Amino acid sequence: MRHHKALFKFAIKAGEIMLRNGAETYRVEDTIERILRTQDLEIVESFVTPTGIFATMDEEDGETVTVVKRVRKRTIHLHKVALINHLSRQFVEGSLTLEEASQTLQEIESRKPYPPAIMIMSIGLAASFFTVVFGGSLRDFCSSLLIGIFLALLQQGFYNSRVSRFLVDLLGGSLIAVFALLFVNTGLGAQLDKIIIGSIMPLVPGVAITNAVRDTIEGDLVSGISRGVEAFFIAVSIAAGVGIVLKIWFAVNGGYIV
Amino acid sequence: MILPMALQIISAFFATIFFSVMFNISRKELLYCGLSGGLGWSIYLISNQLGGSIVVSTFLGALAVSFLSRYLAILRKQPVTIFLISGTIPLVPGAGMYQTMYALITQDIEQAATYGSQTLQMAGVIAIAMIIISSLPKSAPEQRKAH
Repeated sequence: MRHHKALFKFAIKAGEIMLRNGAETYRVEDTIERILRTQDLEIVESFVTPTGIFATMDEEDGETVTVVKRVRKRTIHLHKVALINHLSRQFVEGSLTLEEASQTLQEIESRKPYPPAIMIMSIGLAASFFTVVFGGSLRDFCSSLLIGIFLALLQQGFYNSRVSRFLVDLLGGSLIAVFALLFVNTGLGAQLDKIIIGSIMPLVPGVAITNAVRDTIEGDLVSGISRGVEAFFIAVSIAAGVGIVLKIWFAVNGGYIV
Repeated sequence: MILPMALQIISAFFATIFFSVMFNISRKELLYCGLSGGLGWSIYLISNQLGGSIVVSTFLGALAVSFLSRYLAILRKQPVTIFLISGTIPLVPGAGMYQTMYALITQDIEQAATYGSQTLQMAGVIAIAMIIISSLPKSAPEQRKAH
């Protein structure tokens, strides 16, 4: 009985960390159910959406236990997802006891992301390499590198605030357009469109799109739709941010500069 | 023609690696993520050079990424998403999104409709490619892996 409760806690915790860090919802459901099925239980159900976990199991005395876990803050840390995936597999195979597995889970949870300096440089380099992918020159590469770094600093600044993700993306889009116009007009950059397209890539909702498709394939339609809507609104926020700045620029200058 | 293509492919490889760092993927997998992104983009470019439309080329690129990701998932004993998410990034229609928005603010509605529908089609074919590859029967090592 006590043992089951610990098992239940472990399963929910594992699911929560996965969901928080960018796993598909069907993977979270699957992990929770596999962990609970290691015991001979009559009822085991889990229902996961991108914003919360519901799980039910029955106890030996015939009572049913249900937990609802709301997940608010989500980041992307795919290494944690991979580690828990591996951990749950080891546990289900029986090569780890519940205590050992819970211990490892805690270690995984406290893992640190890449240091901020590396993160900021990576966003800058991702933006600048994408500028080249879409046909930018060396000058455009340098412009996007700087813009990417500014963008990363903006994101880090808002990381712990309660400001909506969509607003940060809108601001990010605006920041990109402002600096792209600045660099092109001062002669650092050459092609405005290449610089902007490369620089918006770090904001593009790649995880949401991929997970929307994968959840839909697995029949998690609710998650598929909500992630699809999330991706769409992120895209609209970025485009609006860039668009507002360009529109103002055109209105002030009365012409189009591409 | 060959040199700019090679430059673009190498850039896609590095862009994907730096993207994978943003997603906090393990250091040991970064190279493979880069290969996934680089392969997808090279298939896209080659198809486009041979006369394939942007949508068809995106589809073929996404097919290649989905296929390679499944293989890498077995080889590296990782969840398939690690390689799929990072490899798909270069194909995500960021450019189409920008062009649609640009046409809208310059009030060129016809262009906006063209680019807008193209962007939606690109997102659609990426989804279809993932669905096709993930519906292929599981190989023996994948069945053992179970997830």
